[in-house]
Amino acid sequence: MRLELRGITKRFGPLTANDHIDLTVEPGQIHCLLGENGAGKSTLMNVVFGLLHPDEGEILVDGVPQRFANSGEAVRKGIGMVHQHFMLVPVFSVAENVVLGFEPTRSLGRLDRARAREEIRRTSQEFNLEVDPDAIVENLPVGLQQRVEILKALNHDAELLILDEPTAVLTPQEIDALMAIMRSLAASGKSILFISHKLKEVRAVSDVVTVIRQGRVIDQVPPTTDEATLASLMVGRDVTLTVAKDAAAPGEPVLRLEDVVVRDDRGLVAVDHVSLSVHAGEILALAGVQGNGQTELVEAVAGMRDVESGRITLGGRDITNATPRHVLDGGLGHIPEDRQRYGLVMSMTLADNLVLNTPRRAPFAARGTRNLGAVRANAEDLVGRFDIRTTSVESPLSALSGGNQQKVIVARELSRPLEVLVAAQPTRGLDVGSIEYVHRQIVEQRNEGLAVLIVSSELDEVMALGDRIAVMHAGQITGVVDPSTSREQIGLLMAGAVGAADA
Amino acid sequence: MTRVSRLRVRGIGAFNVLLGLATALGFGLASGWKARSSLTFNPVDLSASAPWHVGTLTLATAPADLVLGLVMVALGVELWIRVPTRGVMARFGGVAVVFFLALLLWAVRTTGPAPINFVNVTAVLVGASALTMVLIFGSLSGVLCERAGVVNIAIEGQFIGGAFVGSMVASTTHDFFFAAIAGGAVGGLLGLILAFLSLRYLSDQIIVGVVLVTMLSGLSSYLNLQVLTPFPQYNTGNLAPNLPIPLLTKIPVLGPVLFDQTGFFYLMILLVAVVSFGLFQTRWGLRVRAVGEHPQAAATVGIRVVGVRYANVILGGVVAGFGGVAFMASQGQFQPGYTSGLGYIALAALIFGRWRPSGAVVASIIFGLSLYLSYNLQTFQVPVSTEVLGMVPYLITIAVVSGLIGRVRPPAADGVPYRRD
Repeated sequence: MRLELRGITKRFGPLTANDHIDLTVEPGQIHCLLGENGAGKSTLMNVVFGLLHPDEGEILVDGVPQRFANSGEAVRKGIGMVHQHFMLVPVFSVAENVVLGFEPTRSLGRLDRARAREEIRRTSQEFNLEVDPDAIVENLPVGLQQRVEILKALNHDAELLILDEPTAVLTPQEIDALMAIMRSLAASGKSILFISHKLKEVRAVSDVVTVIRQGRVIDQVPPTTDEATLASLMVGRDVTLTVAKDAAAPGEPVLRLEDVVVRDDRGLVAVDHVSLSVHAGEILALAGVQGNGQTELVEAVAGMRDVESGRITLGGRDITNATPRHVLDGGLGHIPEDRQRYGLVMSMTLADNLVLNTPRRAPFAARGTRNLGAVRANAEDLVGRFDIRTTSVESPLSALSGGNQQKVIVARELSRPLEVLVAAQPTRGLDVGSIEYVHRQIVEQRNEGLAVLIVSSELDEVMALGDRIAVMHAGQITGVVDPSTSREQIGLLMAGAVGAADA
Repeated sequence: MTRVSRLRVRGIGAFNVLLGLATALGFGLASGWKARSSLTFNPVDLSASAPWHVGTLTLATAPADLVLGLVMVALGVELWIRVPTRGVMARFGGVAVVFFLALLLWAVRTTGPAPINFVNVTAVLVGASALTMVLIFGSLSGVLCERAGVVNIAIEGQFIGGAFVGSMVASTTHDFFFAAIAGGAVGGLLGLILAFLSLRYLSDQIIVGVVLVTMLSGLSSYLNLQVLTPFPQYNTGNLAPNLPIPLLTKIPVLGPVLFDQTGFFYLMILLVAVVSFGLFQTRWGLRVRAVGEHPQAAATVGIRVVGVRYANVILGGVVAGFGGVAFMASQGQFQPGYTSGLGYIALAALIFGRWRPSGAVVASIIFGLSLYLSYNLQTFQVPVSTEVLGMVPYLITIAVVSGLIGRVRPPAADGVPYRRD
């Protein structure tokens, strides 16, 4: 299929998410749309897939202008989408998910399950995508769930596949497998629109790269363009892709986990007898594919989740099942994974957010009354020191950009006396400039002797920051390795191969 | 199987053991060795349909209840040890039935030379079947709405509306068919209001539902006072006639319970079958469940989420409206407040039955029996006040919904408004 976008413009109130975007995907081409978070990639894809209607411009499929009233119409025209958050019903079988909306039926509207199974078997053989049609989706690993999403699109006779940040949840090995699938689909004549902000993958798999920034097409370049050029096109200025840091000088262990067991919200064991120690003056990076217990581990350390058995100590004091207040007062700084939910109150002012975990303490309060002058002075000081971009310290936090919101948390935590900093996905959703900034702050604190635990599902970040790397899979630590270890070996550990790095 | 559901199964096992011990000790040993209990299984109306005289069974109360209690203990121990994956609810239902039987034996015990008091098991089951039927209508309504992702807490209101309008139409047309149509229409209209407010304006579904119930109970009391009291001819003689099915009614015990019933009862059975089949075997059902589990996923393949929800909430309203008419037709007339929370118990039955029509039927039978017995045990020598007995079904409901069934998984998008970006 040849997909052509001409002058697509989409506005949300005063914000122009897409500004006259022109783009052509040729048949059999893997076309990459490269841009930072918030550059307008997802909006554009939702327009192509009929989930949003453009304010201006037109979409042409094989030269014919189209107007999609909803995504069902886009699917019928041969456009398939693999969403970043899978559009699969977890309690349905693979077959039920694949045929949903296009179900083969017998009399009385009965589902023809045999035919559905047969259709899937045929499609999966044709494209070499093996999956059991009767498996329940929620029991499948994420990589296979993604395969079901692709299968679903192909089963609806998609000629153009949109893949929205498809590698975010995959292990390096699963990413390789996905790229092989993408290449073979393109070879069989399917067009692929690949959305990403990860330069390595873009260079590895694309035929053409279109860079967008702030809703505009900046340039179209070949995939042979080097990473630094791609990054500066994406961000709009030169960026350093590596973190400058000296060798660590680790001291005494500060944060220790001994045989810790934690359950997730469903009551399943999420952290399975984990022992770790983080030393003063070092960064321990916890790597792993999302959903392997990292979130629960951090929550347990921060006092937000019950520890079933085991012991957690902070500077020698037992903080197992202590309240969050106790843990924070004990010298733990916490940059939570979901900052808008756990780290900040979006409707409160910037100044109040900066004292969110010390509101009762001098000088911010005395005898049960707040000292608003001190709160304000503190805010003005931190805004300057941490370069938080805002019009006023009294602005509601929701008025700040994502990067500046993260700076607020970093400023708040690092301005308290700390013994250990626990940062979960500290740069998720941030632009490259903010990422550089947060990384620099973390390394600086480590140089001053702070113990730092970083949890990240971005392998690049883990390898750039970590002095030691612990890899987590299915609730267990599968290995603790040196940052010079190869990506492949860490990938194996992420997939659960215990001790693979010893080889 | 996860450890949580293993824990849940063991919890049910432990509950069964405790209930069994309580039965063996409280009903069995405490009855004294002289006590006798008589149960009869004859049809209520001997002349009409009973070729087979099953007769009366007289048992020594203490040993009988002791044995029944031990059976319950054994069933509980089996659950605790084997932790089976299937048939847990059926075992629990079995224990509940045995418990009711033991309770009846205890309630009718006599120490005199001849039995002066006996209980007719068939009559108990027939009596409870009317309540059970209404609960099933209600929980089926809940299944239809919640499987599509909308919580219908207004079932009670739809019962009241259906009963009120059903009584007026039945009195004037002398035809229960028209009464059912009218009652279903009122229920459907209330469903439409719920759907409109919660789908169009994304109002909180629970609040809209509670408001509808409150409105209906006030409105029906007012109209009752203004219309039905001065003109009693609009609210009399509405007891639905039984339509016995030849031959089948002659089966002992089950015949009169299942096959000598009103048209509403047969309609209920038909609806259970249709909803069960539709939900799990058809394209319609797959789409409804997709909308209730993951509306965004349904939308991306072109399913009209809001349309499906409208249809199901209205359909659910119609079914609950039928339930209201059926309740009225089992009582003979409309009375303000006489549904006394049946709509909410139906919701509990829905949760207990895990959002499946078949599960809702089992739960409704248990709740129906306990409701009926609490209304009627006073006629026997039960040394407990009427008011306390009347609380028991609600206590069972709370126990069942909160602790016993543990954390069950409702449709993932149940009660979550769907916004199209």
